[in-house]
Amino acid sequence: MLNKQTYSRLGETVFQTTLANGLKVILVPKAGFHKTFAVMTTNYGSTDNEFVPRGQSEAVRFPDGIAHFLEHKLFEKKDHDAFDLFGQYGASANAFTSFTQTSYLFATTSHLHENLDILLDFVQDPYFTAATVNKEKGIIGQEIEMYDDDPGWQSYFGMIGQLYPREPLHIDIAGTVDSIDKITADDLYAAYNTFYHPSNMNLIVVGQLDPEETLAWISANQDGKTFGPSQPIQRVASPQTPAAEIVPTTTRHLTVNRPKVSIGLRGYDDVPAGQAGLTYNVAVSLAFDLLFNDTSDNYLRLYDANVIDDSFGYDFQIQRGAHFAQLAGDTDHPESFVSELTAILTDAPAQLLAAKAQFDLVKREAIGRTIGAINSVEAIANQYDGPLFDGATIFDELTVLEGMTFETVQAALAQFQAASRQTVYTILP
Amino acid sequence: MHFRIRDGVTLDLLPTKQFKTIGIKVDFVAPLTATAITARALLAQVLETSTAAYPTQTALARQLSRLYGASFGISVVKLGTKHVIRLTCSVVDEQYLDHFADTTPLFEQGMALLKAVLFDPLLPNGQFDPATFTQQRQNLLTAIKSLDDDKQYLANRRLQELLFIGQPAQAMSALGDTTTLGELTATDILGTYHDMLANDAIHVAVVGDVTADRVQAALKSWPLTDRQLVDDSPYYRWEKRAEVQAGDDVAPVVQAKLNLAYQLPIYRDDADFMAAVVFNAAFGGTPLSLLFTNVREKASLAYYASSSYNPFTGTLGVQSGIQAENQDRVVAIIGEQLAALQRGELSANLLAEVKASLLNARLAGLDSPQRKLVSLLNSELTHLTEPLQTWQEKLAAVSIADVQRVAQQVTLQATYCLHGGDQHAE
Repeated sequence: MLNKQTYSRLGETVFQTTLANGLKVILVPKAGFHKTFAVMTTNYGSTDNEFVPRGQSEAVRFPDGIAHFLEHKLFEKKDHDAFDLFGQYGASANAFTSFTQTSYLFATTSHLHENLDILLDFVQDPYFTAATVNKEKGIIGQEIEMYDDDPGWQSYFGMIGQLYPREPLHIDIAGTVDSIDKITADDLYAAYNTFYHPSNMNLIVVGQLDPEETLAWISANQDGKTFGPSQPIQRVASPQTPAAEIVPTTTRHLTVNRPKVSIGLRGYDDVPAGQAGLTYNVAVSLAFDLLFNDTSDNYLRLYDANVIDDSFGYDFQIQRGAHFAQLAGDTDHPESFVSELTAILTDAPAQLLAAKAQFDLVKREAIGRTIGAINSVEAIANQYDGPLFDGATIFDELTVLEGMTFETVQAALAQFQAASRQTVYTILP
Repeated sequence: MHFRIRDGVTLDLLPTKQFKTIGIKVDFVAPLTATAITARALLAQVLETSTAAYPTQTALARQLSRLYGASFGISVVKLGTKHVIRLTCSVVDEQYLDHFADTTPLFEQGMALLKAVLFDPLLPNGQFDPATFTQQRQNLLTAIKSLDDDKQYLANRRLQELLFIGQPAQAMSALGDTTTLGELTATDILGTYHDMLANDAIHVAVVGDVTADRVQAALKSWPLTDRQLVDDSPYYRWEKRAEVQAGDDVAPVVQAKLNLAYQLPIYRDDADFMAAVVFNAAFGGTPLSLLFTNVREKASLAYYASSSYNPFTGTLGVQSGIQAENQDRVVAIIGEQLAALQRGELSANLLAEVKASLLNARLAGLDSPQRKLVSLLNSELTHLTEPLQTWQEKLAAVSIADVQRVAQQVTLQATYCLHGGDQHAE
């Protein structure tokens, strides 16, 4: 049975159910749209590199980059490639791996039933051999080297590496040329069997669709397959870097035209569980908007002093087991960039209070941007964070935003800031 | 719905309830000249910063926040023989807000903001504000330099300079060049500004749940004058060279960036245009393509290997990231794929797949307000408007022989490789 939640002012409805095998299904029909976008996600990403493989009793440490490698290899089968199956119908398919999730997706304007079957079948029918695994090493090696040449990525990962030196978060999602060389077909099966059980996955479909019919197609596909029983997943808890161990600053030289600075703030506080985590996320993000977005007095002052420019940006994100903020930009004055932004961050609660008059503006902006994002089937699907915020959708996020008060923002920022640790990663020419 | 507002000023309205926003786009179209590119890029940057009523970027940003996070921007685009300064503004349709107490709807407020940006910029003493001018010139300068830190971008820019050697307007990036930029004065930009307002063709387009009356009423308050347009061709036609221009540079990169440029003298109004689109999709334009399959999937030589086709300049580009020592092999594989298509070696299967993929992309574009707005400029410049049905029929009609005929017109003109030098040599 589909659980139906209507957001009448927006004219949108979300249908959800969990199938007998544990697969969570979320359906969002979009009237007037031509496209349907489907994403199937497992709660398994690059940081899950040490776990007890299903059917075994001892924890095993797997080579770095294995989740991403598995993502690449899942498309290839004994006698065909899943890309080509989607291709028959003109659908575009893709996949991506993050720190904590791996997602497989397609977009189509026709043959939704056939494309859904292709998605479910290729994700649920692994085929790994020594030959196909070895062939992929060249491709992924080039992908890794592409990122090696991207100073923005180097700056981001440099910052993460300093915030999480002991945790697997510091390891590049794709691994290294050396680590992927060690990956075997057996490793991929062990990871697959542990994390790709339907009970660890969800499927969200957004766009042109009929919910009852779509669910019937998905159920029919799943009813034709047998899976073992759902079992608890045993990840080895990652070591935690003590706050005192975080290196405050590192400078590296690369061939860039302008210095790049990335300031990271690691949260050591506990993110509230369930949808309260979403409220915390929205509140801290709004706090950063108040402190640093282009409506703030800080922004204009630093912009006019040539400390920041249009490349300046910031972001607060929560992952399973980690949350951090990043402030980054290109600047000709890296020392001032660091000292000015650090001064604001250190004094954040008072700075926030001083910006209170802008709260309604910043909230208006966030509401408008979220409503605008509902135009995009991709945005609706990609905003869905699965178990992280207990199944919250972009519509729930809008509800949280609409009810947000300055006091909630203040409390969330105070909680985050009081227990946070800062690092600075600078790339100089 | 298409309207003539003034001589040389048109309005397109796409009324729909599909979206939660109302999107507005205003294109100022001028002939592409090497001297004007940089000045227009800087003008766009200065206009985007402030207005008389919102004299700092913070004041302007706060007004956008007040309009529930209206997105606003000015960009510059090179399109064949044309240069476009494009203003876009998207506002939420207030019927979706839980609380809206403004007396004026957001669409009208968005139009008022665009009017202020265009017709009432910050001009104390009849000149662009000196502090703003100097700062934005510096910002554009650093933005151009920072772009070169993106090595894929840099390799493509160098390739364009090789391909269009002696043709500076085509060789130059849309942001212009740093030498010209350094010499521009506030007075120069003021001249560019007046010239744009008086002489550019203007195409306004709106998509969303809004009536023609509302759009026309908003536009009526804009001080737009009639303008005489030279309706010349938007297509850049050029003579191909007998010799391939080859270039390379050593830079501290781990991965070599290999870029190739070809002439493909088929333009948007050509009878073979659709066949050229299908050719590009089969050659390297999609993940099903010959380049992706052969360079990446079969030979494992690259993560990306793709082609792109520009029907306004008659060019085809190929880009790939590889190991420098594999360059000859990769170039050979790319050449083999083109030669295969020139011999008509294209499976019916792949042809059907790339057609399905192109149809899918076209229909998916109907779900994007931005893409709907942007596609209108093509129709304006080319005077080609095509119902979806006709487009689909033309796509369906493309045969293997058509693709082969297109492929035979493709000639390699330039190759460029940005690589790490000796440390990667065999």
